[in-house]
Amino acid sequence: MGRGRRILLSLMPNDFESVEVLGGEEEVSLLEILDHVLNYGVVIHGTLVISLAGVDLVYLGLNVVLASVETALNNLQIQEKKK
Amino acid sequence: MSRALAYCGFHYGAQIALPAIGVNAQPVQLMSSGGLGLLWSEVEWPFVPGQMQRNALEFHEVVRHVFNQTAVIPFRLLSVFDDQQALAAFAAENQARFLDDLERLKAFVQMECVVYPAPGAVQAGSSSGTAYLEKKAVAMRSSEGFAQAVRNAVAHLGHEVRVREGKNGTRIFVLVERGRENDFRQTAAAVPIPSHLSRRISGPWPAAEFLSEQVKAPQIVSQKNAGAK
Repeated sequence: MGRGRRILLSLMPNDFESVEVLGGEEEVSLLEILDHVLNYGVVIHGTLVISLAGVDLVYLGLNVVLASVETALNNLQIQEKKK
Repeated sequence: MSRALAYCGFHYGAQIALPAIGVNAQPVQLMSSGGLGLLWSEVEWPFVPGQMQRNALEFHEVVRHVFNQTAVIPFRLLSVFDDQQALAAFAAENQARFLDDLERLKAFVQMECVVYPAPGAVQAGSSSGTAYLEKKAVAMRSSEGFAQAVRNAVAHLGHEVRVREGKNGTRIFVLVERGRENDFRQTAAAVPIPSHLSRRISGPWPAAEFLSEQVKAPQIVSQKNAGAK
């Protein structure tokens, strides 16, 4: 089971009941949310400064999320094809 | 170590209901500066990598809460400031630009249509690497053609349209009048699509793609000076 699939399982709506937007929507919507939260909007220079200061954990986490989204989207596309 | 995590900016008015809780169950706080409202929370930094996905969803919920009521300028999830004072300095430095963008975008939301090669369409029958690449190139060209068809179809709905080519397909961003999201969905879904392509329609989103460059990536003197910390 790939990393992306794990993300889909770990982010099923029941895990995030407070996130109403997920209710009744497709899993791909969740991935879109992650994509938008991480890739769109104002970028603050200060964040880059923190990265240069050697706090890499955040970026490690970010990379995991992004890689997982990519993988999950590919998996979703394959699943759609099988249907 | 704690930091000030910024969620979004918006034209603050008393009629806007604000969310109470944000990332990591921290209280959401309002900073207002000359009509610009900024939502933020004091959070422990850096985030725990294993909780990043949950953090992302909690962050989204805060932005969405305000976006459901008015136009917002979202920050990216990892936009943090040293402290409340640094955020206040940012607000003072950028409030005019933010308010200009909010005024320009106040009546709109961002809708999207992503076009990508249908699963398996490229791989099927690819007897060699060259054949695979040729098929992929054909699919991408076709994707661009379809994107243009969608662009034409939604032109009457879209105040502004932008198209981005990515490695996984073509992404069409359309600035649509708030309240006409379903018109966009129906119009975009009605455009005939070749069998070797798929489409994904989403929205409404904050109009992040249509922000001015100065707002998207503000140059902050105070933050630059703090870089040596």
